[in-house]
Amino acid sequence: MTYHRALLFILILSLHLCGKASHAWTVEDLPMVHLQDAHKWVCNPDGVLSNAATDSIDRYLTLIHQTKGVQSVVVAVKRLEGGDTYEFGMALAKKYGIGQKEQNSGLIILLSTEDREYRILTGEGIEGALPDAICKRILNRYMLPHLKAAEWDDAMLQTVKAAVGYLENDEGLLPEDEESDGNDLLALISLVSFTLILLYSLFLAQYRRCPNCGKRRLRATTRTYLYRNGDWEYYRIVYVCSHCRYSETKVERRPRDRGNNGSGGIFIGGGLGSGMGSGHWGGGGFGGGSFGGGSFGGGGAGGHF
Amino acid sequence: MKKSVLVIVALAVLLIPFCIGKYNGMVKADESVSTAWGNVQTQYQRRADLIPNLVNTVKGYAAHEKETFEAVIAARSKATQVTVDPQNLTPEKLKEFQQAQGELSSALGKLIAIQENYPDLKANEQFSELQAQLEGTENRINESRKLYNQAVQDYNLSVRTFPANLLAGIFGFSQKSKFEADETAQKAPEVKF
Repeated sequence: MTYHRALLFILILSLHLCGKASHAWTVEDLPMVHLQDAHKWVCNPDGVLSNAATDSIDRYLTLIHQTKGVQSVVVAVKRLEGGDTYEFGMALAKKYGIGQKEQNSGLIILLSTEDREYRILTGEGIEGALPDAICKRILNRYMLPHLKAAEWDDAMLQTVKAAVGYLENDEGLLPEDEESDGNDLLALISLVSFTLILLYSLFLAQYRRCPNCGKRRLRATTRTYLYRNGDWEYYRIVYVCSHCRYSETKVERRPRDRGNNGSGGIFIGGGLGSGMGSGHWGGGGFGGGSFGGGSFGGGGAGGHF
Repeated sequence: MKKSVLVIVALAVLLIPFCIGKYNGMVKADESVSTAWGNVQTQYQRRADLIPNLVNTVKGYAAHEKETFEAVIAARSKATQVTVDPQNLTPEKLKEFQQAQGELSSALGKLIAIQENYPDLKANEQFSELQAQLEGTENRINESRKLYNQAVQDYNLSVRTFPANLLAGIFGFSQKSKFEADETAQKAPEVKF
């Protein structure tokens, strides 16, 4: 009896472990921490990296975001679906639009420990600071030796450090000026008034009555670019009632503007986000970061270990 | 008599803005195909520019692999001679282009494979970096080809759908062709690390 029970226990335990051992992450289900917290850049869902290492990496990447406008994503996982860091990284870049749109300043560093693959992907705007050969050199000198010793923390940290070093020396890259934590009051005011005018002119028809007091219509106050998915751009919009200060936050999408300004898009759908009944201005949710819609041309380097 | 003339004039006036819109749409799509094609050619040119350096580096370690070097250089000069004007993107032209570049790809594949017999070459940092540049360029070529195909698809749609196809016929907007998915020759050289 006890023998059977022990066997059953072992069986369940092993099943449990198998199920948990290594999930193959896809572009769709990889949690993008930066969208929740603007100062986090490391996707570490399997805990491949230690907290200390991710904290250090976050510090470097926040710095390079502020000084050079580079938006990075570091992915450290056990397994990727398809096991191809290049395909995965490019799909990730496409989905979220990593990097500023004006500078195409995106940087992605990937490590998949069970696929035994690693890669740096450079946005089109930072190919000058980090040409393929330099990426390879960084990987050969700082990543590979640590990977061979299974020192994931050191591998990623040293690589990020080296890449940031090259980026810092690039005079051509301009610092982040938008969305700098909302400190820049003037920019914020002009952004808010611009979006107000835009929303007034375009989406008047979509205004709804305030569900709280029912007296006035809800007004969109701020619109934050989130990411791009195929032909759609996603925005976070805060609606506020000017009578009772009821506010709610919604994520809405509009067709991607392919450079021709003539075809003003119209918000379709919406309601992907959850309504927030909090009574104060802004409705919260400003801690999350966003990506700018930069594009990747396939630059970078990678390898197996 | 007078009435029918009026009706025709009214119809023409109503149709003109529509035609202008469609025409401009086609011009725009045509332009983006040209841009995308230019980008494809730039990336292939970038690969061609890498080759002399790569060959010289390999030569330093494997001087007597003469045949391989000659094959690469011949394929390179052949490939750089085939350029296609974006206004003339016919299936035949594109095929010729693709074939020339494909031959260069397979010659390059053999050149890269040499490293397996020369451990010193394989360990050389410069070679490793050149190889990374080659791999990155192959990736860029693939990305630019994808974008080109997308642009051609948009263009062809704008030219072929009714009633724009009537206009396209009048103004001479013909269909353009896409890159076909790979024959073996077109495959990127296998770059192993």
